[in-house]
Amino acid sequence: MNIDALIEYISSTPLTWLLLTLGSFKIGIIVYEKFNKQTLLQPIIISYLFIISIIVFTDTSYAEYFKGVEIIHFFLGPATVALALPLYKNLKYIKSLFVPILVTLVVAGVFSILIAVGLLWVLGAELPTILSMTTKSITAPIAIITSEQIGAIPSLAVGFVIITGIIGALFGTALFKFMNIKHDTSKGFALGLISHGIGTARAIEISEKAAAFSALAMGIGGILTAVFLPLIIQFIF
Amino acid sequence: MLKGIITLLSFQFLGECIAKLFSLLVPGPVIGMVLLLLFLMIKKSSFASLDNAVSIHLRYLPLLFIPAAMGIITQVDIISKEFWAILVSLVIGTIVALMFSAKLMDILTIRQERKK
Repeated sequence: MNIDALIEYISSTPLTWLLLTLGSFKIGIIVYEKFNKQTLLQPIIISYLFIISIIVFTDTSYAEYFKGVEIIHFFLGPATVALALPLYKNLKYIKSLFVPILVTLVVAGVFSILIAVGLLWVLGAELPTILSMTTKSITAPIAIITSEQIGAIPSLAVGFVIITGIIGALFGTALFKFMNIKHDTSKGFALGLISHGIGTARAIEISEKAAAFSALAMGIGGILTAVFLPLIIQFIF
Repeated sequence: MLKGIITLLSFQFLGECIAKLFSLLVPGPVIGMVLLLLFLMIKKSSFASLDNAVSIHLRYLPLLFIPAAMGIITQVDIISKEFWAILVSLVIGTIVALMFSAKLMDILTIRQERKK
């Protein structure tokens, strides 16, 4: 038996990291479903903690890890294009509440970025962190490619996106009650606009209408941010 | 499903080409997404093969951002240095934005209903 050759193979093939990533995500899904889809047990969080421990334990560099799973990263592109379909299917709702939707998208969308960026600035955070915060409310695939575009740190940006999603899903319902929100359409729209996919998963539990408006807000919010944010940032700097 | 996958990749390709050609700042895949949306609006329907390709991509969407997300291990310095600023911005920022968006949408919806 040639143990050295085996170790050499395992530590050099991209298959190792690919299998670990896919496998841990599958385990994440199983755990998530076992615990009735608890928001804090998102499959990605379980998978994340698992892979990070292995990377740190084996002293692997990020570049090395990324090389192994680059093929997964590639699919962010087609997945972004794929977002057109749910948006198309929910587009019919836009007519019923056209003005409220349009005004909320623009005003609340801008407000959400300004408040997060403003807080960071007041608390003395540096520019790369501030830039990475600007995409926190859009769906992760668009956030990753947009943050690359504006010179932010994509990994930080995804982290912010996921945490923003989880906070919205955890506190959304209580906040809506506290604010005395009447319409499910408003609840869904806010969840999709601020907490993207994770918020939309929560909106599905409120009602079908809430879910549709959440998907609508997530889709259009993502597009508008990806189109205007790079322009605004280029204008400022 | 192959036709659906080809459709997604073609729209991405087209989007990336347009972004390069006109030196646009908008990411190519987002242009591809808008083009596919326009295509579906003109065609007025989707097709089974595209539905399948889309559902397989979106079903495992969070898996697709693990490679990028794992880059966090290279950002330990920033995070430890700015931990509290980041935490406050994320928690307060998200909660306030959520309340603001829902209330704004609700007020505008109620106002529109009254008009009718």
